[in-house]
Amino acid sequence: MAGKGRRTAEEAPLDLVPIMNLVTILIPFLLMSAQFVTLAVIDSTLPAIGPPQEVQEEPDEPPLMLSIAVTDQGFTVLGDNGVVTGEAEEGAEGEEAEGDPEPTIPCAERPCTSAESYDYEELTRMLSLIKDEYPDDQNVILVPEGRIQYEVIVRTMDSTREDKTQKGEDDSSRELFPFVVIAGGAQ
Amino acid sequence: MALKKKKRVQKREELAITSMMDMMTIILVFLLKSYASTEVTVTPSGDMQLPTSTAKKAPELAVQLMVSKTEILVDGVPVLNLTTVQDEENPGQMMIAVPEDEKKGQMITDLYDRLLDKAEQAKALGEASGSEQHAFKGRILLQCDQTLPFTVIREVMYTAGQAQFSEFKFVVYKTE
Repeated sequence: MAGKGRRTAEEAPLDLVPIMNLVTILIPFLLMSAQFVTLAVIDSTLPAIGPPQEVQEEPDEPPLMLSIAVTDQGFTVLGDNGVVTGEAEEGAEGEEAEGDPEPTIPCAERPCTSAESYDYEELTRMLSLIKDEYPDDQNVILVPEGRIQYEVIVRTMDSTREDKTQKGEDDSSRELFPFVVIAGGAQ
Repeated sequence: MALKKKKRVQKREELAITSMMDMMTIILVFLLKSYASTEVTVTPSGDMQLPTSTAKKAPELAVQLMVSKTEILVDGVPVLNLTTVQDEENPGQMMIAVPEDEKKGQMITDLYDRLLDKAEQAKALGEASGSEQHAFKGRILLQCDQTLPFTVIREVMYTAGQAQFSEFKFVVYKTE
């Protein structure tokens, strides 16, 4: 009886060598195809070219036609009725016609030297207020100047897409204007 | 005494493999998790640094147009080289641009020809397969270096638009 017990104790160690072989082969293979950065895409369509759009019924409210001009001075937010200025200056709207109009959201330093000097948070905050007024609008037109770096355009699209500071439906961040069209650009 | 000695020798033959197995299992799980399952891949290089974005949409397979600091590639095949020119408004600073003799107006001729070929191929393929899923929709994946000026991107977008690609997908690195 005692001898039998001893035998089971000796048989106990598993033969792990085949598993080890498998694992050592799998690890280099997986390391090779591992993805350490994840990619995403931002959709955008061309405004003019493409199949003709269905003629939509005349909406009750005029569309907002929200556009954002990106210049080396900052962001200028435009709606269908002219340049959107800060809340405080709303009364003075329409009076500034001569000279270069001031950007709605100027850079920290002017002219903007890097992608960091643009005030994306303020742009998101302002668009959030506009979204309150026009909850059904989803389109925004970006009009970047020729020398604006691609990084700035992408970050502007990020700040127009969603507002991370506010919660929307299903507990994700609030959606602002997710459909971006990039226009020809201000020369 | 003789029995005891023999037993000790047998024990020494075993390799202490358990801890190594633990480590391997953890590495295996981690690597399986980060296994690249998407069709779209980027080849990082010094000339090509994608911007980061909070976008969440996953990339899908389409014609890949890559614009690095020095050249333009379509599906990994080089089409033309870019140059640097003097920035007119900021003297002394250099700006990446498409060479003047490569374009007609805003259109980059070589790129247009190549993209038109791709569009024809995709259309023929779509018709041959006959399914709605593979039909040509004019999708194009744009991978652009983050420091490129908008003029270059505008010309590339215009050319792609002329070659019937109207649904742009800007590829970016996702931030968690």
